[in-house]
Amino acid sequence: MSMDSVMKDLKAINAKYQMFHTMSDDISAGDAKFLFSAKDNLTSKDMETCAGSRILEGYHPVFDATCISKLREAGGKLVGKTNMDEFGFGTFSTNSGFEVPRNPYDLNRACGGSSGGSACAASVIEDHMSLGVSTGGSICCPASFCGVYGIAPTYGRVSRYGLIDYGNSLDKIGVISQKATDLKKYMEMIAGKDEKDPTSMVQPDFKTAYRKMRSVAIPKEGIEGLSKEVEAVFKDAVEQLKSMGVDVDYVDMPSLKYAMPAYYVLATSEASTNLARYVGMRYGHQEGDHSLKFDDYFTEVRSKYFGDEAKRRILLGTYARMAGFGGRHYAKAREVRQVVINDYKRVLETHDAVLAPTMPFTAPRFDDISKMSALESYKADYLTVPANIAGTPHLSVPCGYDSNGMPVGMQFVADHWNEDVLFSVAEDWEKQFDLRRPEMSI
Amino acid sequence: MDVKTVRDVAKFAHIALTDEEAERYCKDLGDILSYFELLNEAPECGERGVNPILVEDIVRDDVPKVEFDADELLRDMDTYDRYVRGPRLS
Repeated sequence: MSMDSVMKDLKAINAKYQMFHTMSDDISAGDAKFLFSAKDNLTSKDMETCAGSRILEGYHPVFDATCISKLREAGGKLVGKTNMDEFGFGTFSTNSGFEVPRNPYDLNRACGGSSGGSACAASVIEDHMSLGVSTGGSICCPASFCGVYGIAPTYGRVSRYGLIDYGNSLDKIGVISQKATDLKKYMEMIAGKDEKDPTSMVQPDFKTAYRKMRSVAIPKEGIEGLSKEVEAVFKDAVEQLKSMGVDVDYVDMPSLKYAMPAYYVLATSEASTNLARYVGMRYGHQEGDHSLKFDDYFTEVRSKYFGDEAKRRILLGTYARMAGFGGRHYAKAREVRQVVINDYKRVLETHDAVLAPTMPFTAPRFDDISKMSALESYKADYLTVPANIAGTPHLSVPCGYDSNGMPVGMQFVADHWNEDVLFSVAEDWEKQFDLRRPEMSI
Repeated sequence: MDVKTVRDVAKFAHIALTDEEAERYCKDLGDILSYFELLNEAPECGERGVNPILVEDIVRDDVPKVEFDADELLRDMDTYDRYVRGPRLS
């Protein structure tokens, strides 16, 4: 599929899969060297940016996020902004104020979240790279559900300038693609220091030379609670890894079970402060009743345009920061983050990566998701949250398919700044893995 | 968690809740906060970083410049005479 034919078919592709919230109107790729899309919480100068939230409808940024400007400078053409859970709040991309992307392997199932539209675009469109953002698993989860490769690099590796914050201490920008080799190619373009994001300024050089993965550790806590089919597919994949010369050990990582509650305390606390800026002035909707007092005006606009999950997380985060409760749980959550980091460092002293399935089940049906409680939905992230709270780089590869033909993914986690070993194992894996493209008809 | 607390938190967060929402969020938050109790038994290490990596304070040179055109910034905002319009303060 040439770039021009992608541009010509973009609207028809989107009508079927709903991966894009905003699209380029161009019907030709012009002199672009490659096409890419970006999650809609990354600001783009020529396209409305809403982060999946109705409160930002009509927001046209005056600047590009650093990652987008770097890709444009390298010859990339931004073709669309992808649908996502509102501000990244979700596991299935169903918590969107706009369109919900559909899984390329079964339109009645979810793409995963919160970078669901990005994974969908990477899965459906040939030779397409999409920028995703991960706070608690939002790159690897949808990559797993949509049968593609995805990397969330070390926290601080890619500048967050131009990213609409969810949780500042957790957000990471990464790459999703059908090809493992694309991850390194495009990460190399977007990584690096940026004086506009101080957390990017301490990073060591970005290593890209091949470094064979020699050993992985599988935490016992990472293979509990799996669906039978994911368990079976993962078991076969581990055997395949062994045949590729990778040593496999089983280890205990007792801290992992505390990562989930710590994550939700930290993430919602940060989110509730970040979202305080959306009050119906300056960005998005501004048509509230100006005769109201400011407290009432802010409340009117926020109550009208924030979605259900955004309200839930604002309430949770506000409560978590309040005196009394905050003293107990917020401080403890920060300490647990360090405990999890220490646990990874201990295991990674003797292994190149920690390995587990990316998600405990394959992409669920929309009707099953609608029956899940908030807590059940949060708990689905238990395999992706630990690496995210630790800020360690993690990469999901497609590793097989269940009896319905739905993709299963497995996730490698390396030590801080060691993306190189993740790229290498993904490229080795790609050489022997029989990737089944979704059947696409538009 | 009780409905009154949910309403107090919501007021603080500038969110108005219907009765149905207050009841629903009360139950959800109760379930989630009970789950957070798991943190009480988590091991301790005596360190509480703000970021997962060590971050140094690095400041850029203080060079005056115009980064964005003011009119471009105001383009999507509700303005009058280049002031942003907002609600009453009192």
